[in-house]
Amino acid sequence: MNFWKSTIGQKQLVGLAGLALAGFVLTHMLGNLLILVGPRAYNEYSHALVSNPLIYAAEVGLLVFFLGHVIVAMTLQKRNWKSREVKYAVSASGDKATSPAKKSLWAQGMIILIFVVLHLITMKYGEYYTVNYGQGEIRDLHRLVVDVFHQPGYVIWYVICLVLLGIHLSHGVASSFQTLGFNHPKYTPKIKLGSCLFAAVVTAGFVVQPIYVYFLM
Amino acid sequence: MNLNLKIWRQKNSQDKGQFMEFHAKDISEDMSFLEMMDVVNEQLIKDGKEPVEFDHDCREGICGACSMVINGNPHGPDKATTTCQLHMRRFKDGDSIVIEPFRAKAFPVIRDLVVDRSAFDRIIEAGGFISASTGNAQDANCLPIAKDHADRAFSAATCIGCGACVAACKNASASLFVSAKIAHLGLLPQGQAERERRALRMVAAMDESGFGGCTNTGACSAACPKEIGQENIAMMNRDFMRSSAKNRD
Amino acid sequence: MASHEKLKSNAPSGPIEDRWQKHQFDMKLVNPANKRKHTVIVVGTGLAGASAAASLAELGYHVKSFCISDSPRRAHSIAAQGGINAAKNYQNDGDSVYRLFYDTVKGGDFRSRESNVYRLAQISPAIIDHCVALGVPFAREYGGMLDNRSFGGAQVSRTFYARGQTGQQLLLGAYSAMMRQVDKKSVEMFPRREMLDLVTVDGKARGITVRNLITGEIESHAADAVLLCTGGYGNVYFLSTNAMNSNATAAWRCHKKGAFFANPCFTQIHPTCIPRSGSYQSKLTLMSESLRNDGRVWVPKNKGDRRPPNEIPESERDYYLERIYPSFGNLVPRDVASRQAKFRVDEQRGVGPTGEAVYLDFSDAIKRLGEDQVSEKYGNLFQMYEKITGENPYKVPMRIYPAVHYTMGGLWVDYNLQSTIPGLHVLGEANFSDHGANRLGASALMQGLADGYFIIPYTLGNYLGSNKIEKITEDHEAFKASREEAKKRLDQFFSIQGKKTVDDFHKELGAIMWHYVGMSRNAEGLKKAIEEIGKLRKEFWEDLKIPGEANYKNSEIEKAGRVADFLELGELMARDALERQESCGGHFREEYQTPENEALRKDEEFSHVAAWEFSGKDHDLKWSRFEEPLDFEYVKLTQRSYK
Repeated sequence: MNFWKSTIGQKQLVGLAGLALAGFVLTHMLGNLLILVGPRAYNEYSHALVSNPLIYAAEVGLLVFFLGHVIVAMTLQKRNWKSREVKYAVSASGDKATSPAKKSLWAQGMIILIFVVLHLITMKYGEYYTVNYGQGEIRDLHRLVVDVFHQPGYVIWYVICLVLLGIHLSHGVASSFQTLGFNHPKYTPKIKLGSCLFAAVVTAGFVVQPIYVYFLM
Repeated sequence: MNLNLKIWRQKNSQDKGQFMEFHAKDISEDMSFLEMMDVVNEQLIKDGKEPVEFDHDCREGICGACSMVINGNPHGPDKATTTCQLHMRRFKDGDSIVIEPFRAKAFPVIRDLVVDRSAFDRIIEAGGFISASTGNAQDANCLPIAKDHADRAFSAATCIGCGACVAACKNASASLFVSAKIAHLGLLPQGQAERERRALRMVAAMDESGFGGCTNTGACSAACPKEIGQENIAMMNRDFMRSSAKNRD
Repeated sequence: MASHEKLKSNAPSGPIEDRWQKHQFDMKLVNPANKRKHTVIVVGTGLAGASAAASLAELGYHVKSFCISDSPRRAHSIAAQGGINAAKNYQNDGDSVYRLFYDTVKGGDFRSRESNVYRLAQISPAIIDHCVALGVPFAREYGGMLDNRSFGGAQVSRTFYARGQTGQQLLLGAYSAMMRQVDKKSVEMFPRREMLDLVTVDGKARGITVRNLITGEIESHAADAVLLCTGGYGNVYFLSTNAMNSNATAAWRCHKKGAFFANPCFTQIHPTCIPRSGSYQSKLTLMSESLRNDGRVWVPKNKGDRRPPNEIPESERDYYLERIYPSFGNLVPRDVASRQAKFRVDEQRGVGPTGEAVYLDFSDAIKRLGEDQVSEKYGNLFQMYEKITGENPYKVPMRIYPAVHYTMGGLWVDYNLQSTIPGLHVLGEANFSDHGANRLGASALMQGLADGYFIIPYTLGNYLGSNKIEKITEDHEAFKASREEAKKRLDQFFSIQGKKTVDDFHKELGAIMWHYVGMSRNAEGLKKAIEEIGKLRKEFWEDLKIPGEANYKNSEIEKAGRVADFLELGELMARDALERQESCGGHFREEYQTPENEALRKDEEFSHVAAWEFSGKDHDLKWSRFEEPLDFEYVKLTQRSYK
């Protein structure tokens, strides 16, 4: 049996990559929170990140995890669609119903994928303002963010996508543990709770920024 | 009570199939769901029509023959229940009930509500056993097994192979069925010798049969008449990962 | 006394402890290289069939295995709840092979062959060992050792169990062993096939004719020997604890081809079933009689007391089993417990909406052990009861009533499990062998597995090794004739175009059987039954309505064939019951009872197996009755007493 071709092996890759990405979104969110401290802290932090030579390695790694997560999940999803040719006329209800959040992980993922692409275009490859705090000219990312977060349409889109990301994480993180073979009557409920808390913290941390910028700046 | 039934009719695996409506009259609330179907079928025969084919046998909830998706729920609305153990007191006069077969590419429809679940047998064939030929065994008590392990193995072993897990899963995944057997045998000391080979071969057979993958929605356990839990799937994932890593081929 | 040269038991002589070992040594062997060349057909995949198919394939035979269900795992052995007996004496309570042997012969009311029963008891410990090796998750104690419980009719704890699902776990063990051989290509599996005929060539069983239940095709399969492991015929009664598809067709077709049918009137009525609730009832559900370990059976002392059970004070309850049988109490054997329940109902002291039930009360056990422990032991049974009846047995006593459960009678076999047709071996419930006139609880599983795992692998080798078996194929005339015969019969069903459905007839037959050939029988009733079954059979062939066609999945045509055979078998059961002018075990003739209403055996005249040869042709039913005398060298014939 080829591990890479099996549904379980592929799922484990998706899970592992997903966990790595979850770690990334957490640090991303924490970094972004510097917006609450002030423009200088925010810009200097982002400068420190991009000027570190390791950034290229990190970006390649991130890209690999991201593409791995997306492509393998899409492969599995294609298979999953094929596994039931005639659909049910009625869907499950009551005790046997599944929460829509768990059922639509794939759809959440697709929207998040679109968001990520647009997000990169808007932010990473967006307007290059500069600012000088006395150590030479660096990018004024803060200004771009403030500009963008003053567009109500963008804020709404951003908040929706981040809530979706939260839903995705709340199931995804705990689910990865299950996929990687960890399930224990004592710890699994805690992992599930932790997964929800993690998702809530990440989402709150991200969402607080546009709201802060839009309403308070 | 009187009921409106919408039942899936399909001549054979090639036929497209469609829903047909029936009226079930004077149904007693003490009837089982299948007894209600019997009444409908007897009437159909007397009216010169062909009865609805469905699989059933023990009618005690243990053989795993009965299937049916009732109003979207495999084995109907009750937890830990097979269709044969579902009773009509669960329904009200005038209810509409939609009855479909278990749907999955790996379970082709044979006729009406009867589906072909032989894929499950092929999976067991691939490794759902302990290779102990008759006559080899030592005294049964030479191998103490902690009660906790024996109980957990038993819980996994209660799987009746009905296929409700596949029917319930949005991906028509057979993970719960396969993992229940892997866990049952893997939790017992007798099952250790073949544990790695078992995981590799059974998962391969599962994938070859055209079932989807697991996305951990838990729909299978919710529909399982024996309430087999998700921890078995985790164990299968673990065994499969470890065996793949150690596998020398 | 009419004996028959074919009814030679072939049981070895000498000290009973050594007989099986001696016989094993005396039997011919088949060289390993030659085993591969022999094809063996196994019909049925229950405990006997699956274990036989697995064991024979392990030895190297080529096995073709057939079942009517979509998967071999669904055979009705799966529904056995209580447990499996074995003379392990793990509990240090005085059990032994001899005691299990003794209990089984006595429990069977002295109507079984001593040699067979002793062998069964001897083999029993190895069954447990083998099942554990296969991964059967038996109940265990904290120290990791196997747990045992006592079971109806025994005073020692020798029953091994897996919660309330022992049959399921044992069957899955045998099924998994068989599937391993399917993977090795030693077993060829044919699911959804129904055996319609046995094919004999030169008087030997050489194959079968089956109907593919999906395509309707009639197929032939040739082999060197045929093993029938097709279970019992309890569904003659329409309402029984058997599965809906359990049937006697395979056995009956063999009977009509020359296999003698032994003791057809020996049926077991199980005391702890959920009472029926209405005319639509399709089957009855058994609850393990292990419930009688902690539950107390009672009815109101006063006739027609309609109060809810909880309002009937202790002083007005009659715990009749404890009263009549102080030493066994609620644990008396099945036939005794069933009959006593019937007597109470006949006295109009029955309970529940139909008045056809008695109470099984757990309130004392709950007081003594607590609800948790009771639930640990019986949780799934209580749950099942509540699902079916809508009542909670933790709060309200269960209502139970006897139901047909097991048939001790079956095709006659010798010590080698071979029927009167050479090459046709019959295993498990389908044969008549080890239980005499009444089977003890937890012994059916033991017998099925003993036959399949540990007896047939030896005795079949003896048959193949000592007979010259010509090569034949499915093109042989005999197969062709059999296929045509089977097709003709199917066409006949469709050609009737009457008004009544198969179930209509089956229900009517069931009512006749339950009424006249049920828990208690008398000459007048049995004669009436024979007459009425004859009439019903005639009507069946004139007024049956079968919808659809034969060339696809059509349950009605499947059922029609089975009920047609039940309509013949039912008559034979009544005839056998009429001829057996005594009461023994499950066969209770009202004319023969003690003043205390216990079964009265007549050992002088009836200490024998009644084996019936079919001597008619097609619809012209005629039988000749022969006897195989039973000698008791070890167990002294006594009036059974459980007082």
